[in-house]
Amino acid sequence: MTIDEREICRYLRLQGRAPGAALEERIKAMREAALKAIRPARVWRRFDDPFVAGGADSKTLKRHLAECHAAYLVCTTIGAEFDTLQRRTAATSPADAFVLQAIGAAAIEEWTDETEREIRRELKEGETLVSRYSPGYGDWPLEAQRRLFELLDAPRKVGVSLTDSLLMVPSKSVSAIIGVKTEVSQ
Amino acid sequence: MTNGIFGKGRLVFLDGGMGTQLQERGLKPGETPELWNLSRPDDIRAVHSAYLAAGADIVYANTFGANAAKYHADAPLADVVSAGVALAREAVHAAGGKRFVALDVGPTGRLLKPAGDFEFDAAYDAFAEEVRLGAEAGADLVVIETMGDAYELKAAVLAAKENSSLPVLATVALGEDGKLLTGADVECVAAILEGLHVDALGLNCGFGPDKMLPFVKRLAAATSLPIAVKPNAGLPKVEGGKTIFTVGPDEFAADVIELVKAGASIVGGCCGTTPAHVRKVVESLGEWVTGNGERGMGERGNSSFTHSRTVVCSGSRVVEISTDDTIIIGERINPTGKKKLKAALSEGDVAYVLREAVSQAEAGAHVLDVNVGVPGLDEPTLLDSTIQAVQSVTALPLQIDTSDPKALERALRHYNGKALVNSVNGKEESMSAVLPLVAKYGGAVVALTLDENGIPPTAEGRLAIAKRILARGAEYGLKPSDFVVDVLCLAVSADANSANVILEALRRVRDELGCCTCLGVSNISFGLPARPLLNASFYAMALGAGLSAGIVNPLSADMMTAYRAYRALIGKDRTCGEWIDSFKDWTGDSRQPLAASRQSSGDGRPSDTDSPDSLSAAIRHGLKADAAAAARQELAQGVAPIDIIDAEIVPALEIVGRGFESGSVFLPQLLMAAEAAGAAFDVVRAALPQRDGASVRGPIVVATVKGDIHDIGKNICRALLENYGFKVIDLGRDVPPERIVETARREKARLIGLSALMTTTVCFMEETVKLVHENLPDCKVTVGGAVLTADYAAKIGADHYSKDAMGLVRYAETMFPAKMV
Repeated sequence: MTIDEREICRYLRLQGRAPGAALEERIKAMREAALKAIRPARVWRRFDDPFVAGGADSKTLKRHLAECHAAYLVCTTIGAEFDTLQRRTAATSPADAFVLQAIGAAAIEEWTDETEREIRRELKEGETLVSRYSPGYGDWPLEAQRRLFELLDAPRKVGVSLTDSLLMVPSKSVSAIIGVKTEVSQ
Repeated sequence: MTNGIFGKGRLVFLDGGMGTQLQERGLKPGETPELWNLSRPDDIRAVHSAYLAAGADIVYANTFGANAAKYHADAPLADVVSAGVALAREAVHAAGGKRFVALDVGPTGRLLKPAGDFEFDAAYDAFAEEVRLGAEAGADLVVIETMGDAYELKAAVLAAKENSSLPVLATVALGEDGKLLTGADVECVAAILEGLHVDALGLNCGFGPDKMLPFVKRLAAATSLPIAVKPNAGLPKVEGGKTIFTVGPDEFAADVIELVKAGASIVGGCCGTTPAHVRKVVESLGEWVTGNGERGMGERGNSSFTHSRTVVCSGSRVVEISTDDTIIIGERINPTGKKKLKAALSEGDVAYVLREAVSQAEAGAHVLDVNVGVPGLDEPTLLDSTIQAVQSVTALPLQIDTSDPKALERALRHYNGKALVNSVNGKEESMSAVLPLVAKYGGAVVALTLDENGIPPTAEGRLAIAKRILARGAEYGLKPSDFVVDVLCLAVSADANSANVILEALRRVRDELGCCTCLGVSNISFGLPARPLLNASFYAMALGAGLSAGIVNPLSADMMTAYRAYRALIGKDRTCGEWIDSFKDWTGDSRQPLAASRQSSGDGRPSDTDSPDSLSAAIRHGLKADAAAAARQELAQGVAPIDIIDAEIVPALEIVGRGFESGSVFLPQLLMAAEAAGAAFDVVRAALPQRDGASVRGPIVVATVKGDIHDIGKNICRALLENYGFKVIDLGRDVPPERIVETARREKARLIGLSALMTTTVCFMEETVKLVHENLPDCKVTVGGAVLTADYAAKIGADHYSKDAMGLVRYAETMFPAKMV
């Protein structure tokens, strides 16, 4: 798995500035440690009903999926061991921990993008995807997570669970719906 | 074994996939399969009957997800479980013969603490209810399957053992790398399950039988219990939106034969397998075993890993203690004689304890001793919470160190893995309290060679007590390999013969009892000067006498040198790789820090040239090792400690802080500068005359609120506050409001900092603020976190909003206007 350094810097909120030698060294060391702990997993499933996970009464989701005739539900994660590494690092060095969480954020984003590319490959002729949309965006309530997780059997398939407050654990995980629409040919 | 289901030398056939069979019959994604026990009983019975007709000896009732944590459908759970067991029973009756019904117990679908937010006890309760319902409904055995977390597995097994007398088969689902989701490998699973006395164990789901082979081989080497396998029909593939499994019955059966040759004796199928798969397995194995004359294996020797060896583990790492090598047990989490740790434990400062844990692990410890015995504190509660906290940051197995049986039981129960228990001794009272607990929960136990008459002065006398403890252990089913004998280290200043007796006893325990040994090495030098030097020499002698586990300070360079030298010299450090790694930069001072950690080697150099060696520059550039070195140099040059702090450390930190506020320095650099300042500060503080209590402002209590597990922001605040000279009590994450109030009251804190990252957890922040204001009118609350704004903070009643960590520092400065030292 590759993790783009520019993305890491973006999550470090460096606002386009170079990290400098000392920080670069830390990024390098932390990225090495992270790569050993990351165990990516993913699950997706196609549904003919774009509102299979609910949301038909969400204005923003309805707008987002307006032209869609089907949808993929997807859940990705970089695994529980990364969280353990994160906790261990936080116990001794908040700076390293901060760098590490930026690396984790870049990694899960990269992994989810790569998963989306994989999904594109199984689209039917003339179909295309709209952008990812997750429970909690706009007025689509976070509670939709429960249905989405049931439909994907996410705890069993990829080891991602929901907490009582509907957070995902492991923490570097993404759940989303990706609508399928017909490509408009020019 | 209670009813001979898994008799030795006998093959047992399990059924195949249930979920995939129900999907064929129309089960929709997201639908609750267990509801079919009530709405489609004929279908369920038909699936069981098909597997029985194919030759299965055991069918799994359709109860995989029937635990209260996972099951949320309308029909009562009790009805679903009893109908599930009854349907399987009906199919078994109809099929005739000696067949069995298993209650199928799958995971809760929740991630347990510390990885997630679900309590061990809550998982236990959910499993316990399902087991009671299943046993009442007449199941013949309990099957726990598809577990992906060793900790949840332990909860399920305990629930099965404590709520029924049925035999228990437990199987786990490995990932393709051969590990559970939370990191346990098969050796770890075997150690935990043998310790908990299941009747059979094994693997299910995950992948096909071909990929299972290497792991079954490892499992066969790690356990003497019967091994079960229930592989999928290969890896699932998605075609046209449907999940399909590609391995047919013939190929499946051929691969399963290899698993049986490798040691499996209980075989079936999981996802994607059908009655045709099971039939083929039964047919081909029937044929294969005729070659052996009977329906059994006989190929598996009694090559038990855990039976003849002393093995402890965490939820993800196994450590073997042996008579022909040695390991290090880190001694530092023990408040005896440690003022700072005592204070941290009393105040609930978890972060301090965690730093001790991680630094010992990084220094090379293999097991960490955890002792929280401080007079006046509630030891059972504190030991329990400390062990859970330590396990959240390290994979090292722990040595649970307490003399309170209540504290021991609670800690053993909640411990993730198979623990080392410290300790039992030859007193009747101790043996009858401790040994049954070790037998019940699994573990190895340190046997102290003392009894009602004290510590015998001779090796002979100590050996006799060890023998007595071992014999008593046998009454509870404990083997000699479940013990690690501590022959007790007495000060050589009090008894000139002390070391000789210890060394003789070490040798004789190993040679005459075949038992592993441990020793708290540093007691030898009590009352003498230059203790570390004497300790290291004695440690080397003890290692030579066969010490299996030294309870030592892994942060001591002298001790680690003795350890590494010993292993290099007796050929355990092959090619002397570890020795070379540790000393490749050796300059001649034998007491320089060993195995340079990444902080001291990987910081890089300053990018610009403003006197790069100066302390101020090192701090500003975030160079931790350089900052500490510069501080040491200034002290050596005779600069007064207080001047170093006032003229260098504080101003440098101030420059970086202002840079952050004006946008020219970013958060990572601010944190690195704070760490560098902290490193320099530690050096200087060590040179200051002891002035405990005078050097701090605060205390400030910080916490991530209940329901929220994101603590990065809170950790950043803690780090900055500490480096600005504030005393911080960090309560961690997911902290209930009551605990925050209680701590602030006890520690007389005037400021509390709360963090929350999610909109869904801000409600708990509001609740906490309210509770603080009701109970502690003089205490201010500042809040921060991604979703908060100043308006929002005001709305939930907070006294202050910290837009970032510096904001919190500035606010704290207004509340505690004082100097850094």
